Amino acid sequence: MNTGPLLRISGLTKTYPGVTALDDLTLELPHGRIGLVGANGAGKSTMFRVLLGLSHPTAGHVEVCGIDVARDPIGVRSRLGYMPEHDCLALDQTAADVVSTFGELSGLPPRAARQRASDILDLVGLDEARFRPIGGFSTGMRQRTKLAQALVGDPELVLLDEPTAGLDPIGREEMLQLVDRLGSFGISVLMATHLLDDVQAVCDHVVMINAGKLVVSGATNSLLERTGLVTIDVGRHTEELVLGLARAGVAAVAVDDVVEATVGDDAQMDLVRDVVAEMGLPLFRLSTRLRSLDEAFVRRSEELA
Amino acid sequence: MSAVEGSADAGRGAVYDRGYRPYEGPRGQRGAATLALYKASMRRALGLRRTWRQKVAPFVLLAVVTIPAIVNVGIGYVTRDRFDGFVIITYREYVGVSSALLLFVALVAPDVMCPDRRQKVLPLMFARPLLGTDYVVAKVGSIATILFAFSYLPQVVLFVGNMLVSNAALDYFSGHLDVLWKVPLSIVVLAVYYAMIGCALSSLTDRRIVAGASVIGLFLLTSIASGVIVDNSDATGGGYGGLLNVLAMPLHLRDVIFLGHVDPSSQLGGVAGGGWLALACYLAVLCTGASVLWWRYRWVER
Repeated sequence: MNTGPLLRISGLTKTYPGVTALDDLTLELPHGRIGLVGANGAGKSTMFRVLLGLSHPTAGHVEVCGIDVARDPIGVRSRLGYMPEHDCLALDQTAADVVSTFGELSGLPPRAARQRASDILDLVGLDEARFRPIGGFSTGMRQRTKLAQALVGDPELVLLDEPTAGLDPIGREEMLQLVDRLGSFGISVLMATHLLDDVQAVCDHVVMINAGKLVVSGATNSLLERTGLVTIDVGRHTEELVLGLARAGVAAVAVDDVVEATVGDDAQMDLVRDVVAEMGLPLFRLSTRLRSLDEAFVRRSEELA
Repeated sequence: MSAVEGSADAGRGAVYDRGYRPYEGPRGQRGAATLALYKASMRRALGLRRTWRQKVAPFVLLAVVTIPAIVNVGIGYVTRDRFDGFVIITYREYVGVSSALLLFVALVAPDVMCPDRRQKVLPLMFARPLLGTDYVVAKVGSIATILFAFSYLPQVVLFVGNMLVSNAALDYFSGHLDVLWKVPLSIVVLAVYYAMIGCALSSLTDRRIVAGASVIGLFLLTSIASGVIVDNSDATGGGYGGLLNVLAMPLHLRDVIFLGHVDPSSQLGGVAGGGWLALACYLAVLCTGASVLWWRYRWVER
């Protein structure tokens, strides 16, 4: 297994007639679960095609798992699993047939492919349905089948293109749990999505691109910056608390049944706690408010512009 | 592997979370992937692991092309005391009967090629260690193999049957040794040709009905056109118009293999160098088909 960076991209540019899909991207990404975030048309799918060696970059250099994509695309594809966004499964075949066929296409011997197809379909929760034609599957089951075919070849890195697209809230939650588990199996994940909540839920690292340009790349926690606000939930006593904090010299406002107070340091945080205690209010929650990935994305995009 | 056991029933049963097990066995590369696709395409063409409706067409066609052999052998057996070596159909002519399998090509080639585009399976396939040329080789190879098998099996029935009903089986065998290479060679020529045309036309559309109609249409139109041209020409026998007949091209080569020259009664009969011209046209059609397929699947390597 490659011990260097998962992806090493330098000066990656991909242009189509009249469109620059990727514009001078330079990145080095560690192993783990990585979110590739961007609006529709930001260049996420183009980047996947380049990583798979299906599209040659106009300029730049890409290494996946330590292998130069331009020099050895077959070697790269042997280490990757790919789950596209769109429907891509033969509807008249059973999930077991489809997944075992893709296992064989990944280079596994037929018997091992069938065994792994069974194991992986069990893993993604399709054990009971594996002998049913995919045409009769729900959207959630098709997404799981797509994930299973991406995993059957035991990849080092799996590329997931909008894995939660079209799923209901329960299906989305289950899919994210599956993606989250992949990290514990030693499989790195590059998940393209425009849903920042999904990335925030499962990814250790975030890459944000906009119109083909890199907006920001970093550990998820580092992007969830402290905002200098604390959220205080005191039930229905919000107005009383706002007045009490104002008397103590702490600026605060009531927002959606909670109070948000601006604190500069730990001493002010203690002061907020003491005010609540002195007023005898019930304290349900006292937490620092982090800047969400949405805010980080918008702010960095504005800075870049 | 972890086990979750009920405290009350510990020792009686357990629910196992098998988790994920990495694969550490042997792993093939392009060759293995191509072979896997070849086998998957064969299964699809024959309707294996599919509903019974998908199995009807290939096996009915196999039965249809085998009937002449069975009839020939049956009559030979019934009349074995009156005629030795009774023949309704010769091995050469029987290769021509196999051209009925172009109906099979019109049904199966679109079914093997078109859904990959229509259902957008291609990106998944090419995310594996597989190149466009591997894909084409697997698809054309699978259809050609089935065509070969469906053409060769009736010939085997005919040969073995004739041998067994003849008065001297060993003499029949030794007297027909040339058949043992001429038949397979002719059938290879025919199978590769029809498979290439079927796949090339099917690669141009993602709709099976359009692809099937195109295959039938190409063969029908060119054979009708060449027939009209040859019939209206002043030359006795055949004419150069016979070269337009895409359907008959491998049959001219069959005649060259069996007879050493084109059949004088065919559309190329009487044409100087007819065999070479037929070979050139045959290769031109194969090259055109290969070029179309290369053009259609080249994008995966760009």
